[in-house]
Amino acid sequence: MTFQGLIIQILSGLSTGMVIFLIAVGLSLVFGTLRILNLAHGALYMLGAYMCYWISSVVVQTSGSFWWALLLAPVGVALFGGVVEVLLLRRIYDREHLDQYLLTFALVLVVGDLCKLAWGVEFLLVSTPWPLNGPVFVVGMPFPSYNVFLIFCGPLVFAGLWALIRYTRLGKVIRAMTYNREMANALGTNVPRVYTVVFMLGCWLAGLGGALVVPTSSAMPGMDMVVLIECFIIIVVGGLGSLPGAFLGSLIFGLVNAFGILVAPRLAVAFGFILMIIVLIIRPWGLMGKPE
Amino acid sequence: MTLSAVRKEKSVSRMIVIVVLAILAALPLVLTKGWLSLVTEMLILALAAGGLNLILGYAGMVSFGPAGLYAVGAYATALILVYTSWPFGLAFIAGPFVAAGAAVLIGWFCVRLTQVYFALLTLAFAQIIHTIIFEWYDFTKGDNGIVDIPLPELLKPIPHYYYFSLIVVALCLGLLWMIVRSPFGKTLQAMRENAQRAESVGIPVRRYQLAAFVISGFFLGVAGSLFCGFNKNVFPNYAHWIKSTEMLVVCLLGGIYNFFGPLVGSVVYLFLDKVITGYTQYWPLVLGLIIIVLLLFLRGGIAGFIAERWAQRRGSREEAS
Repeated sequence: MTFQGLIIQILSGLSTGMVIFLIAVGLSLVFGTLRILNLAHGALYMLGAYMCYWISSVVVQTSGSFWWALLLAPVGVALFGGVVEVLLLRRIYDREHLDQYLLTFALVLVVGDLCKLAWGVEFLLVSTPWPLNGPVFVVGMPFPSYNVFLIFCGPLVFAGLWALIRYTRLGKVIRAMTYNREMANALGTNVPRVYTVVFMLGCWLAGLGGALVVPTSSAMPGMDMVVLIECFIIIVVGGLGSLPGAFLGSLIFGLVNAFGILVAPRLAVAFGFILMIIVLIIRPWGLMGKPE
Repeated sequence: MTLSAVRKEKSVSRMIVIVVLAILAALPLVLTKGWLSLVTEMLILALAAGGLNLILGYAGMVSFGPAGLYAVGAYATALILVYTSWPFGLAFIAGPFVAAGAAVLIGWFCVRLTQVYFALLTLAFAQIIHTIIFEWYDFTKGDNGIVDIPLPELLKPIPHYYYFSLIVVALCLGLLWMIVRSPFGKTLQAMRENAQRAESVGIPVRRYQLAAFVISGFFLGVAGSLFCGFNKNVFPNYAHWIKSTEMLVVCLLGGIYNFFGPLVGSVVYLFLDKVITGYTQYWPLVLGLIIIVLLLFLRGGIAGFIAERWAQRRGSREEAS
């Protein structure tokens, strides 16, 4: 492979990795704080994608409508998530794992079908928004400028979340609750409110990821499970509940995927799983996680 | 409960089993072929869910990937029938053993982890099985599936295959019943309640979990082989996570802490599936709403609910007398 080809491959791996990071970090954050593995996280991502399509091509008709959609769709998903948390999830925090899996799985089915009812089963594409619709030239090769934008979104959100968790009051509470939930309870944290806020934040991230992919890979049925399984791989590799872990996991996953496609295109899906299995055997708590 | 009451309960449940078996044996006389196919499907799904429930309900190991082993059983039988001249009986028996072999390999990795990680790793292995079937086109025919699997003449009519399934499923469920009642089964339940305590009284927890995983895989393989003969075609989506979830839902619907739960769940699930898909294509939406209602209002599933009511009634009667 040429040097230019290598660079382009790395860049495309990074852009996939950084979008999936936004989604995986939401899942990881929700798991770390609420101790729930939210199977519906992928469905919320899909909802974000459809909302983005809907807002940018039906609701807002002016130019630059995509940017409005990018702003509003994640908020819509977060509000939906807030309702779900208050009405449903809140009732099963003290239940067994199986009940939690099944409730969130039921949400996968419901959200999936509601999206079908609302938007049908066609692939819905939004054209790449101005001013990112042209290519940029990297080492003399053209590369979509929108994908460069995607690469920057990841570190930006990472920095934002890191600052939130490090410097704000909410962040302190989240850290305390991840560290020792009973103690945080005992010290008088308003746990239900924190849960709702964290869950909405997770949904916002999923929605953001969904909105961002619509110009590159369209909104379609089934996109939710593909992304969910990729997120599983990432947070297991990085460590469940770990923010830097999700970032590292996404980077590795994006690159493994980009180069896996070159080596054996048909088995690319399996590479991610093999990565996950290796990590689970050598370091079951993940690269950046802590052993329980 | 007194000893005579226990004996009475035993004879009552034995009576119920005999009556149910008699009704099932008489069904081909009254049902049309379409409905008989549905009952055959119910029997096979009941066996799969029953096998899954050995680890789910009894050993407390939440597996996300039972369909992987189910598909291994189905594909093993299908591939042997298509590529070799083995008789059907041998190919049918080989399926479960191949599935159990795969379960040894997968289980060896999986039982080293607990809870969420166990669930995720079982899911990963099931997806790998799915990918292998999907991509190994030369051997497994990929997403075209293996179609027109040759069956012996004797098993071709629907009622004949129904009886064959009924006998196999009844035998397997009888075996499962003996397993969960055996000291081995009791040990699994003790591990489910408190793995640490079980470990401290000298039970090799990992080895027991692996054994349960392999036995469960064997019965999933039987169900897969049966379904292979029933459908005469096999497809990669047998290993798909949707199939796995279907089995989990069936167990939950019926109740995982009751031996008959998965059987009841299978009947109710496939019946609802058949009826509701007749009215609307949005079966997943209805199923999702059913699961939510079940989880919030009917904990313990249908069989659990009935058993609880039964116990309540008898309790009040005993108090009165």
